[in-house]
Amino acid sequence: MDKWECMVCGYVYDPAVGDPDSGIAPGTPFEALPDDWVCPECGAGKDMFEKVE
Amino acid sequence: MKPRKIKDGIYWVGAVDWDRRLFDDLIPLPDGTSYNAYLIRGSEKTALIDTVDPTMSHVLLDRLNQLNVERIDYVIANHAEQDHSGTLPQVLERYPEARVVCTPKCKGMLVDLLLAPEDRVLTVDDGATLSLGDRTLEFIHAPWVHWPETMLTYLREDRILFPCDFFGSHLATTDLYVSDEGRVYEAAKRYYAEIMMPFRRVIEKNLEKVQRYEISLIAPSHGPMYDRPEFILEAYRDWVLGDPKNIVVLPYISMHGTTRVMVNYLVDALVEKGVTVQQFNLAVTDIGELAMALVDAATIVIGSPTVLTGAHPNVIYAAYLANALRPKVKFVSIIGSYGWGGKMVQQLAGMISNLKVEVLEPVVVKGRPRDEDFAALDKLAATIAEKHETLK
Repeated sequence: MDKWECMVCGYVYDPAVGDPDSGIAPGTPFEALPDDWVCPECGAGKDMFEKVE
Repeated sequence: MKPRKIKDGIYWVGAVDWDRRLFDDLIPLPDGTSYNAYLIRGSEKTALIDTVDPTMSHVLLDRLNQLNVERIDYVIANHAEQDHSGTLPQVLERYPEARVVCTPKCKGMLVDLLLAPEDRVLTVDDGATLSLGDRTLEFIHAPWVHWPETMLTYLREDRILFPCDFFGSHLATTDLYVSDEGRVYEAAKRYYAEIMMPFRRVIEKNLEKVQRYEISLIAPSHGPMYDRPEFILEAYRDWVLGDPKNIVVLPYISMHGTTRVMVNYLVDALVEKGVTVQQFNLAVTDIGELAMALVDAATIVIGSPTVLTGAHPNVIYAAYLANALRPKVKFVSIIGSYGWGGKMVQQLAGMISNLKVEVLEPVVVKGRPRDEDFAALDKLAATIAEKHETLK
């Protein structure tokens, strides 16, 4: 599964870790995050993320 | 206070703040600033684009009086920050039929920051248009210039872009349009460095978006208007997309002169190798100047003595700022001195994790530098010059 980086603050979403503080279980791919999920560091929306090559 | 006419039915109704010397209790304003608001009259509706800082509400209201504005239908809030939205409550009170137009995210922020009445706020999607009769406003969502809720407004028939803070400059002037490009370049670069640079990668996308429009005038929320838009668009392209230049930025503090000896030696060695150095004694530095230097630099060398067990607090402050501003630097090194010990290098290196940089071998000396320390500085200068060669 791909990691995705927040272009605003540099936070990297790692699907293996998920985002437990926002109720996202480990193993959740970025594509499956709810539309209203925001970056836990800076609050940017999903559209501000780019796939880490 | 008189409004200024841009063309028939379009007026500048903002406020010039000649006396302000500090923004957010953080950013020095050597040239003051302005809060630009614009009135647009269509054949059917009237719109106000942004308002002014709450300290100058009376100026905006007075200018609207001078124009005999009896009705405002829409107040476009491109940005929720108080220096532009702060007079919204007074405008809504004075013009009871007026509705605020903004992005959905901005609506939430206006409610939070100004306790704006929700039922008077109209949200618009990216690309939405609003007719004023013979004139049309188009809204361009452009998040992170420099808050998440920002949008730009494009007046289609007149080809005027109202980008709010994007492309702005803190510059108090009676000139409606840029008259001295050199002066505005400096002010706009300082503004970019302090406000926009942390969002460089998102700004790149917003810049692409703007370039799809035919624009004859850019009317920002701070500083004079650009009647030659290419001037500021080209500058932004260079700041955002340009390769880092053959420049070392050297912020430093020296308490008893030892670090200064090292700084002076390194600067000479770098200059000899054709590297430009911008050195900043942090005891007397305007942080805006430092931020501007970071826009282009390929390398930062931090110079610090050791206070107690770590870097000097002014150096900590500068490292924190550099990390937060996320300039496009590629290399970092640390030079300095200590009397008996300390963890200055580890502390500073741990503070710049946002910067995707290669750390070049630091030179930290116990007491006065000796021959082998100067040799290490020569080596650092040579390494920097070599690394910069690879950027070309």
